[in-house]
Amino acid sequence: MNNRRTRLLVAPLFALLGLVAFAGPASASGESVGACMAHHLDEAVEANHGDLHETLEDHHVQDELEKCFEAPSPILPELNEVIWGGSAFLILFVLMVKKGFPAVKGAMDARAEKIRSDLDAAEQARTDAQSVQADYEARLADSKSEASRLIDEARGAADQVKADLMARHEAELADLRTRAAADIESSRAQAIADLRAEVAGIALGAAERVVQSSLDAEVQGRLIDAYIDEVAGSNG
Amino acid sequence: MADPMVSGYADALFAVAAAEGDLATVEDELFRFAQALRSDGELSSTLADQSVPVSRRQQVVEDLLGGKASATTTALISMVVGAGRTAELPAIVDALVERSAASRNKAVATVRSAVDLTADQRDRLAAAINTRTGKAVEIKVVIDPTVLGGVVTEIGDDIIDGSVRRRLNQLRESFR
Repeated sequence: MNNRRTRLLVAPLFALLGLVAFAGPASASGESVGACMAHHLDEAVEANHGDLHETLEDHHVQDELEKCFEAPSPILPELNEVIWGGSAFLILFVLMVKKGFPAVKGAMDARAEKIRSDLDAAEQARTDAQSVQADYEARLADSKSEASRLIDEARGAADQVKADLMARHEAELADLRTRAAADIESSRAQAIADLRAEVAGIALGAAERVVQSSLDAEVQGRLIDAYIDEVAGSNG
Repeated sequence: MADPMVSGYADALFAVAAAEGDLATVEDELFRFAQALRSDGELSSTLADQSVPVSRRQQVVEDLLGGKASATTTALISMVVGAGRTAELPAIVDALVERSAASRNKAVATVRSAVDLTADQRDRLAAAINTRTGKAVEIKVVIDPTVLGGVVTEIGDDIIDGSVRRRLNQLRESFR
């Protein structure tokens, strides 16, 4: 960073020195056309001992004056501009080196420090976020595990309830079958008993009617006598 | 033992009959009337009907027994009916018969038969029961057609069943 800034500051300085070093003679004077012509004219008049007319007719002077009309260098500035500009540049350069550069450097350092701290904070935040994310993921994993466990428990309980219900229903069904079989057997036995009783009743009714018709007074008397004999014959 | 009310009425009837000097006849007539009440539900309910005036019920008794039973018997039954104790009259008569027999040191043997027993049969049966149980008894015959034939004798809680009905019932049981 510091080398880069140094190179940025030194490059314009070399460019300025190059311009000054390659400045041509024609424009070395750095004067305007009028000043140039006045300068050459004064020198020529003085060389000709004050004779302006002879001086103006001198071809050498005329060539020198003609040179004053030539266009200045498109690259090289006038010398005075170089001087003033260079001075201003130097002053500004010194001011910049003494005042601006430390301020800029301080601002840059502060900015870099701020960026660094921001990066550190961001890194810390990222680390915290990763920690939080890991925590959340752990909790999520725990929640999933707990949910899975609860589901397994619920499924197990449901299976148990189902098994219990099935067993109870099977037992009830078996009981119903047993009772139905017992009822059928009881009904069958009752029907047989009823039929037997019915048959016996019919037979006994017939027998009773026969007995009644045969029990005349003589028979009744014999039955009573037989009863008396039986009572008398059985002590106790 | 017996209901105090029943035994009280029995004692009263016994005393009246004994006082009138015709205990055996009155006792026999009361016994027959009590058997008639047991076998005839319509007669029993009529004489026990509280909605019928007492005089009307007593009139029924007199109409039934008039000329067929002694005046003492008719009066005693009429008195019991008038007292509203018609329903208890059979039990009262039973207690009276037992009390009368007890006064002669005898027990009562209630004999159920489809036909009446001759006097000879009664005497022989009393002797046979005496031989069997050691008790001197007086025979009270109840004509009961459901017996069909033979005899059923009840002496207190003892029953000697020699009826054709019992034989038929045994036969019915054997069919089951």
